[in-house]
Amino acid sequence: MTTIARQHELETREHELRKTRMLMVDGNLTQNLRTLERGVSARAYVGGYWGFGSEPLAGGAERERVQRQALANAQAMARFGTRSPRPLPPVRHVGRQQHQGRAPLTAAECNERLAELQAWCRRHYPALRSTRFLIGDEHHGKSLTTSLGGDSFARIDRAACAFTLVGEDTTGAPIEVDEWVSGSGTLADIDWSLDALAPKLERAHEHLQAKRHAVGARGGLQTVVLAAPLAGMLAHEAMGHPCEADAVIGGAVTASLVGQPVASELVSMVDFAHTFEGRPTLIPVEVDDEGTPARDVPMIERGILTSFMHSRETAARMGQAPTGNARAYNPHDEPLVRMRNTAILPGSSTMEDMIAGVDEGYLLLKTGNGQADATTEFTFGVTLAYEIRGGKLGRAVRNTTLSGSAIKVLKTVDAVGDAMHWECAGYCGKKQPMVVSMGGPALRARAHLGGE
Amino acid sequence: MSAVSAGAANDLWASAEQALAMMRRQGFEHAQVSVNRHHRHEVCVAHNEASLLRSTQSNKLQLTGLLDGRRADIEGSELDADSLRALVQSLWSNVAAAPQDAANAVSSAQSAQVTRGPQQADTAALADAMRELLDWRAQHTPSVMLEEALAGHTQVRSCTLTSGASALHCALGWYDAGAFGMAREGARSSSFNFCGGNADSLAGEPLVQRFGLEDMLRALTRSVHTEAVGERFTGAVVLTPSAVGSLLGWFLGQLSDSVLIAGSSVYRESLGQRVASPLVTLRSRFDAPGVAPFSADAFALEPVTLLDRGTLTCFTPSLYGSRKTGLAHVPVGAEGWDIAAGDTPLDALIAGVSRGALVDRLSMGRPSANGDFSGVIKNSFAIRDGGIGPALSETMIAGNVAQMLRDVSAVSVPRIDAGAWVLPWLRVEGLHFS
Repeated sequence: MTTIARQHELETREHELRKTRMLMVDGNLTQNLRTLERGVSARAYVGGYWGFGSEPLAGGAERERVQRQALANAQAMARFGTRSPRPLPPVRHVGRQQHQGRAPLTAAECNERLAELQAWCRRHYPALRSTRFLIGDEHHGKSLTTSLGGDSFARIDRAACAFTLVGEDTTGAPIEVDEWVSGSGTLADIDWSLDALAPKLERAHEHLQAKRHAVGARGGLQTVVLAAPLAGMLAHEAMGHPCEADAVIGGAVTASLVGQPVASELVSMVDFAHTFEGRPTLIPVEVDDEGTPARDVPMIERGILTSFMHSRETAARMGQAPTGNARAYNPHDEPLVRMRNTAILPGSSTMEDMIAGVDEGYLLLKTGNGQADATTEFTFGVTLAYEIRGGKLGRAVRNTTLSGSAIKVLKTVDAVGDAMHWECAGYCGKKQPMVVSMGGPALRARAHLGGE
Repeated sequence: MSAVSAGAANDLWASAEQALAMMRRQGFEHAQVSVNRHHRHEVCVAHNEASLLRSTQSNKLQLTGLLDGRRADIEGSELDADSLRALVQSLWSNVAAAPQDAANAVSSAQSAQVTRGPQQADTAALADAMRELLDWRAQHTPSVMLEEALAGHTQVRSCTLTSGASALHCALGWYDAGAFGMAREGARSSSFNFCGGNADSLAGEPLVQRFGLEDMLRALTRSVHTEAVGERFTGAVVLTPSAVGSLLGWFLGQLSDSVLIAGSSVYRESLGQRVASPLVTLRSRFDAPGVAPFSADAFALEPVTLLDRGTLTCFTPSLYGSRKTGLAHVPVGAEGWDIAAGDTPLDALIAGVSRGALVDRLSMGRPSANGDFSGVIKNSFAIRDGGIGPALSETMIAGNVAQMLRDVSAVSVPRIDAGAWVLPWLRVEGLHFS
């Protein structure tokens, strides 16, 4: 450790980020990209202010340079006035995170498999307007040292494959159905073989045919069965973000609701650090980017709001313990309070029973993306849905939007599915992107659907 | 150009030439090399208090290699010879595995050198601008919590060379600022909102008077107490420039490679036809602060008008997309757009709505491939008989984005200049409220 690092509250991170991204559209490889970024950053806390500096790794003096930059920047912030610095909770972690994955696929193996999938689609679905396959993986390796003696290596490895089938509805307008497969590791560690994807493609094609004759959703408050992927999104967007302590300090309505009911008693929700039911989560975080050993954060226990996700600073400010949620996305980013593996816990209902119990409503199967608000109001795009009439599935529904106050919606949950679904395909956005996973079982609730 | 910046430019040029030579020696038939250096300083606010000063430097080396009609791309952050050699080797392996595609190509005979904007950061000016914003908030909108705000300066130098003798160099500098927050009264909060933009200087005009910041902060304070629209009806919306940006993003996507190659653009048969209200003219501003003067596939950008009084004048395929589809190649950047001002004062724009809403943010999923959407209108106010009413909550609108562009009935005189875009307020008829 350098002299600078010993003398101040300082963390120094060497961060390597590698990515692969390949996109095949109708047999054309329109994207075939690998990236590698290495950098070193330092963050200092002096007099109640933070300073941050980063440079590309070049094997030289940059480590000490960014430490000096971070300290100088923190000291320069004194122009905003002298502060009584709030002591940060002391944390220390020493350890090296391992990953036991398969050897990565070669570029040739990826191309062959993409071509095989495209050819299969051409043979089986000649009437489709277009077929897209996107594959990608992403690997972070972070070596962190802190002035409190922390010395750790953390890694995140995740991979994903998505396909999109594009057809036409009865008026000739384009319609789409997509599907994602994601998991920990490299593209060799998730199953996107033709054998694995063919049944998914077949199901997606059936949905696409149903969407050709889709009807508009009835706008307004509806009974909805949310398939597991939507429940995971609900956990992340609608209640996860308002339980990030920086959002709480910023004015999220959750601030005054700890100990109060915010959901049905059937609902429990946790941000898992690295382990779920004895197995590694998809995005296992053993130590965060401030050097805090990561622990689970139970946010809702049987409907009662219990606790929030913290960095060291938010923990100090709220008089609580840090939870290991301070994460930085790329080598030039400072840690922010971020989720890791956020999930609603499974219940005891089957999907069949949940649908059978709806006289008039909707089954929502897929979402494109979602947004949340400090008020816990959320919005998801729903890209695949069906009517439910008399406990049975009806016609497909055109793309719509699901919205509501998460608290109001979660309080109406009257059935929670017994099967968990986890995924880690997308990015969470909050100044920086972030890789997270989200999980959940199917839920039945009342929420607003967009429509005429 | 100063001696220092000339030296930096020479370094980039040398790195790019070294990479291009290495790729030629490796055997690539065509190649494109870009070397970028990015310096940024940023003063950050958290929870209404100055919090952090960031200084970052990063490099990006981008290589594109073509061999026998096959293409691969790779990016790295280290510019030394060993790292470069490793990237070229990896690219060579990747390109050999790619499928052949006759549409692959690199630019040729492009030549430009652009130096624009402030090249040196004035961190004291950043701090002063942020202090001024914090003081203004405390005095005029004390119920607003700025969860995050920042004022920054970015300097980017880049050099791009291709085997087709294109040589593009730029040195760009710009300031930017933005804020994200909500208003709070007791246990009640407004929805969050954000806005920001780029400028050549932060001097001469308070930060709060730029990019629509003052309007946003004042609107937040009026949005803590909300009402639901309560019933279904068909009405009009007045979209603020920020909300117009959502429409613009969808429209630009419909003119670009992915949907053109897939044949799924809703405008695929509409070239030369009226696809928007005649009140709408959309043109580029590729010389705006923070906007790159070159396309990603190494073409110098020329001014372009995409919508001329509502008529679609061109698509915007890349060189690859153009060769793939047969459509004319129109190089564009990721940012830098301008919708022409209209002739309706903002008050009159709103006064023309008998029932509807003033909409600042659309919270929704990606519109359907055909443009259908439904979304919750956030940071929005009811309009009744031409007057602005209460802030709205849990209110959805549904429609079709392409139809919305056709149904623009008025365009405002004032616009907001956020650097990457300059946009007016638009009045659009025929949205379904619920």
